[in-house]
Amino acid sequence: MSLEVRDIGKSYGGFKALDGVRLTVETGALFGIIGPNGAGKSTLFSVISGFVPADEGRIILDGKAIDGLSAPARARAGMVRTFQVPREFRHLTVRENLMAAAPQQTGENLLGVFFRPGRVNEEEAAIADRVDQTITFLKLTRVADQPSGMLSGGQKKLLELGRALMAKPRMILLDEPFAGVNPVLIDEIMERIAELNGRGIGFVVIEHDLQALTRLVPRLAVMDRGRIIAEGEPRAVLDDPLVREAYLGGVS
Amino acid sequence: MEAYLVAIGIIALIYVILSLGLTLQYGLTGLINFGHVGFFAIGAYTSALLAFQGVPLVLCFAAAAVLAGIAAWPIGLVSLRLRDDYFAIVTLGFSEVVRIVITSEKWLTSGVQGLPGVPRLYEELGGFTAQLAVFATILAVTLLGIWMIRRIAGSPFGRLIEAIRDNEEAVQALGKDPARFKIQVLVVGAAFAGIAGAFYAHYITYIVPDQFIPLVTFYVWMAIIMGGVGRVSGAVVGSAILMLFLEGSRFLRDVLPGVSEVDMASVRIGAVGFLLILFIMYRPQGLMGDYTKR
Amino acid sequence: MFYAQLLVNGIVQGLVIGLAALSITLVFGIARFPNAATGDFMTFGAFSALTAHQATGSILFGGLGAIVATGLVSLLAYWAVFRRLADRSVVALLVASIGIGFLLRAVLGVVFGHGQQVFQVPLTRPYVFNGIRVMPLDLQLAAVAALALALVFSLLYLTPIGRQMRAVADNRDLARVSGIRPGRVMVALWLVAGGVAGVAGMMLGIKTIVTPEFGWEMLLPAFTAAILGGIGSPVGAVAAGLILGVAQELSTPFVGFTYKIALAFIIMLAVLLLRPRGLFGQLEGAR
Ligand SMILES: Nc1ncnc2c1ncn2[C@@H]1O[C@H](COP(=O)(O)OP(=O)(O)OP(=O)(O)O)[C@@H](O)[C@H]1O
Ligand SMILES: [Mg+2]
Repeated sequence: MSLEVRDIGKSYGGFKALDGVRLTVETGALFGIIGPNGAGKSTLFSVISGFVPADEGRIILDGKAIDGLSAPARARAGMVRTFQVPREFRHLTVRENLMAAAPQQTGENLLGVFFRPGRVNEEEAAIADRVDQTITFLKLTRVADQPSGMLSGGQKKLLELGRALMAKPRMILLDEPFAGVNPVLIDEIMERIAELNGRGIGFVVIEHDLQALTRLVPRLAVMDRGRIIAEGEPRAVLDDPLVREAYLGGVS
Repeated sequence: MEAYLVAIGIIALIYVILSLGLTLQYGLTGLINFGHVGFFAIGAYTSALLAFQGVPLVLCFAAAAVLAGIAAWPIGLVSLRLRDDYFAIVTLGFSEVVRIVITSEKWLTSGVQGLPGVPRLYEELGGFTAQLAVFATILAVTLLGIWMIRRIAGSPFGRLIEAIRDNEEAVQALGKDPARFKIQVLVVGAAFAGIAGAFYAHYITYIVPDQFIPLVTFYVWMAIIMGGVGRVSGAVVGSAILMLFLEGSRFLRDVLPGVSEVDMASVRIGAVGFLLILFIMYRPQGLMGDYTKR
Repeated sequence: MFYAQLLVNGIVQGLVIGLAALSITLVFGIARFPNAATGDFMTFGAFSALTAHQATGSILFGGLGAIVATGLVSLLAYWAVFRRLADRSVVALLVASIGIGFLLRAVLGVVFGHGQQVFQVPLTRPYVFNGIRVMPLDLQLAAVAALALALVFSLLYLTPIGRQMRAVADNRDLARVSGIRPGRVMVALWLVAGGVAGVAGMMLGIKTIVTPEFGWEMLLPAFTAAILGGIGSPVGAVAAGLILGVAQELSTPFVGFTYKIALAFIIMLAVLLLRPRGLFGQLEGAR
C-alpha cells in the first residue's frame, strides 16, 4: 500500500498548522517523521486519516484519491492510525478493547446477534485467539482483564498499538508509540515492527526520540512549523543544517 | 388490595420497558435521548387508533413498536452527527413536536379531548382475571426485553456500542462507523418505548396529549440514574423506586388534608428535579454503583 | 397591511425570544452547556414581575423586580449546583439544569398556584400609523427590552468584566493563562443570564397569561434562536430571536397557531445540518 500526500495545507484561524506538505511513502515502507513540538506531525496524521479536513491538497492511497472518504472508510481501506494521547475504551477491559478492534464481525450486526449465534461464537473464538497472541506480545497479560482506564500511560500506548494491529491493516500510522513505554519493551516492539514490516505491512512512525527512530527506519522526514524541511536517510537528514537549526530552536 | 398491587405492578413494568430502551441508548451507547416520551406517545396512539379500526390487538402492539422505531430513523439520520448536547436538545424538541402534532391533528387524535375507551387486553376474561392476564403478558414481554438487552450487551455489538460511548473517534479509527450503530440503537430503544406506549394505552384506556409531557422522559431518566446507569438490573431497580415514589406521593395526597392534586403534581415535579440534581452531584453512579462514571 | 400587523407582533415576540436566547447563548458560550432551566428562569421572572407590579403598580418596578430576583435565583443555581459540576461532563450539567427547572416550577406552582394570572395593565387605544395598529404597551415593552439589551451590551463590550466574559467564551484555556479569574466571570455571567431571562419572562407574561409552565414552552424557540445566531454570539442571539419571532408570526396564517413551536424545531434542525456555526458564530459548532 502506497501513500502520497500532495501539497496539503491546513490553517487554524490565521495559523498554518500544515503548509504545502508533500510526502511519498512507498508500499511496504518503514517511514519516520520527526520534528519539534507543534511542528504539525499529529495534524498531518489527522488529515491523512480523515479526522481533520484539509484546506487544500490531496491524499492518494494506492494511486486513488481518498479525499472524499470518511475516517472509517479510510481505515477499512487498510490504513489505520493510532493517537498520540491514548484513546482507550476506558470501561472495557484490555481484552475487550482488542476484541472490539477486529474487523468485520458478524456479531456487530443485530441480526447476526439474534439469528446467527453459532457463527458469532465461532468468530469470537477465533478473534480471542488473536487477542491472546497480541496480549502476550505486548506483555499485557497481567492487566488483560482490567478496565483499560486503569492502565499506566505506557500500557495505554501499547493498547493503542495492539488495537491497530487487531484491525489487520496494510499500513499503520503510529503517533509517538513509545512515549512512556518501558525501554526494554521498546526494543522488542521495534523488532516486531520490523518483522511485521518484513511481511509487507507499511509503517509511518512519528517519534520524538531521535535515537530510537534512527535505529528503526531507513528513511525519514523532518517537519518544522507545518513544513517538511528535509527528507532522506536518517544520518544524512540529521546532518542537514536546517534540521539542526529547527531542533536547536525547538530545544531552547 | 390485590387489584391495587397488580395495577401498580403493571405500571411499574411499563416503566421497566421504557427504562430498558433508555439503558440501551444512554447506559450502553451514551446517546442522550431526551425525547423518549415522544416514542412512547407514538406507540400509544398508534396502537389505540388501530384498535379502534378493529385491528387485532397483537398487530396493534407490533405496529406500535414498528412505527415508534421508524419514527426514530429520520431523527437518527439528521441528528446523530451532532454533538451530544445538541442531540439532547433535538430529541427533546422532537418529543414536544410529537405532542403538538397529537394536540393539533384533531381529525385523527381528537386533540386535547383525547381518546377514551381504548379496548382493554383480555376484555372477555373480565375483572380481576383480565388484570392478572395483562400483568402476566406484560411481565412476559418485559422478561423478553431484559433477555434481549442482555443478549445485545453481551454481544460484539454491545461491546462496540460501549466502545462508542467511551471514545467515538477511536472507533472510527478502527474502520467502524459509529452512526451505523447508534441509529440501530436509537431505533431499537424507540421500539421498546413504542411497546410500552401500547401497553399504557390499552391498560389506562384513555389517552390525552397531556400524558406525554417531557416530565415522563425524566421519570425514566430518574429511574435509570437511580438504579445505576448502564446496567439492566439498574433499569428494574430504578423503575421500582420510581413507582414507590409516584405511588407514595399519591398516597400522601390522600392522607394529607388540604393538598390538592395540582399541588401534589408540583411537589412531584419538584421532587424529580431535586433527586436528579442530588444524584448527578453526589451519586452519578446510581444507588447500585455502575461502570459509567459520568 | 395584515402582514405588516403580524410583523409588528412578531417583533415583540422576537424580542422575548431574543432575550431568552441571549441568556442561553451566554451560558452556552461561557459555562459550556445548554441551560435547560432558562425557560423556568423566565417563569420565575414573570412571577417576580407580577408580584412587584401588584405591589407598586409600575411596569418599570416590575421589570426591576424580575431582573433582580431572577438574577439572584440564577446565581444561587450556579453557586449551589453548576459550580460544583464545572469539571463534569456536559450531560451532567444539562441534567442538573433540567432538575433546577423542575424545582423552580414546583416552587412557583406551590406558592402561586396553578391558576392563570395576568398583569393588570390599563387598556389603551392603539396608535395607528398608516393603518398599522401599535399598542402603546408594545412600545413600552420594546423600550424595556431595548433598555435591557443596552445594559447587557454595554456590560459585555464596555466594562473589564464584560471583556473577560467574552475572552472566556472565545477561548477558555487562553483566558485562564492570561490571568482571568473564572469565579468573578461566572458570578457576572449568572447574574446577567438570570436577569435577561427574567425580563424576557416579564414581557411574555404581559403579552400572555402567566402559569408555572409557560416559560418552559419558550425553551425550544429560544434554543433555536441561540443556535441560529451562533452559539456564543450575543448579537446573533438577539438578531436570530427577532428573525424567528417574525417568522413565527408570519407563518401563523399558513400553519396555524399550534405549529409555531414546530416551526422553530424545523429551523433548528435546518441550521444544525446546513450551517452549524449559525449566522454569526465563530465557535466550532455542533459536530
Ligand atoms: N484543533 C486545533 N485548533 C487550533 N490549533 C491547533 C489545533 N490542532 C492543532 N493545532 C495547532 O497546530 C500546531 C501543530 O499541532 P500538532 O499537534 O500537529 O503538532 P505535533 O507536531 O504533533 O506536536 P507534538 O510533538 O507536540 O505532538 C500546534 O501549534 C497546535 O497548537
Ligand atoms: Mg503530536
